[in-house]
Amino acid sequence: MDSRNNLFRFNLAQLKFPKSQKLRSFGVYLAGILFAVGFWSMIDASVYSKTVNASTIHITFVDWIPFICSTIGMMIVNSIEKSNLLNDPNSSSFLSTGSGNAWAARVILFLGFSLLAGGLAGSFMVFILKFLMKKVGFPTLGMGVSNIVCNSCVMFSCIILWLSQNIEDEYSYSLAL
Amino acid sequence: MNPLNKIIFLSAFLASGFLLILLSCALFNNYKPLWVIFIFLVAPLPNILANTIESTRDDFLTFSNDHGSNPSQLQELCKYITGTLIVSGVSLPIVFYHCHLIEVGSMLMSIIGGLIVYVDIIIFIWFFSEEEEENDDFNF
Repeated sequence: MDSRNNLFRFNLAQLKFPKSQKLRSFGVYLAGILFAVGFWSMIDASVYSKTVNASTIHITFVDWIPFICSTIGMMIVNSIEKSNLLNDPNSSSFLSTGSGNAWAARVILFLGFSLLAGGLAGSFMVFILKFLMKKVGFPTLGMGVSNIVCNSCVMFSCIILWLSQNIEDEYSYSLAL
Repeated sequence: MNPLNKIIFLSAFLASGFLLILLSCALFNNYKPLWVIFIFLVAPLPNILANTIESTRDDFLTFSNDHGSNPSQLQELCKYITGTLIVSGVSLPIVFYHCHLIEVGSMLMSIIGGLIVYVDIIIFIWFFSEEEEENDDFNF
């Protein structure tokens, strides 16, 4: 066995994503579908709170804050040009004054992922503080559950969009001047 | 199948979709599911616009004539929007039903009718685009 300069035994670079254009567009569609599922579950909770809600707990702006955080995080994460992240592998020291803006891309990407994780954590916080602590029954509890479903769907949508944007077609090449 | 038969068949199909949505509103005297028609009519638009923009873009500087196999960012954004719009069209009646704003029959009829309208538009585009260029991948 040849000497490898990896840190771990398992080399994740050997795990290749399937390269297909169909799979890529399917992933993009699936990401959109998941985002819409999350959005409509939140809409469902707020319309339910307005119409047939028999309890005193209502959906207010506080419940929407995790969704807004997740959405902003998703937009940040997926609008970063990914070639910026890897362009200087040698000068990997943080805040290196060398070439490129890789550190800026990494900081912004970190901000985006923290917004996503903060959105998911915030939905759990709203669920616990607003619904579980008051010991309400299930039709009212469903509004908190849909908040968690919403933020999880946005997070999965972001993950799938990220993965499917990294699928490159093996046989496509563009001769750019 | 010649194009005239296709058009007649598809228009009858489309009319049945509209009929289902209108019945879902009129039978229950509740005109909230009418928004489904609007959503499913808008749903094919992003892909049509993106493909039109990409096919008319001047690709002289970058010799990338592989529009089908290498989609641009705009096309992917439009695919994403298409996915959200389809789910919106399906989930709007479900939300209405869950909040006791419409009946269950109205929900089923508006969902089926909306999907018929959408599929009809897609089949229409697919039928008449495969005559021009023999590609087998259908954009939906």
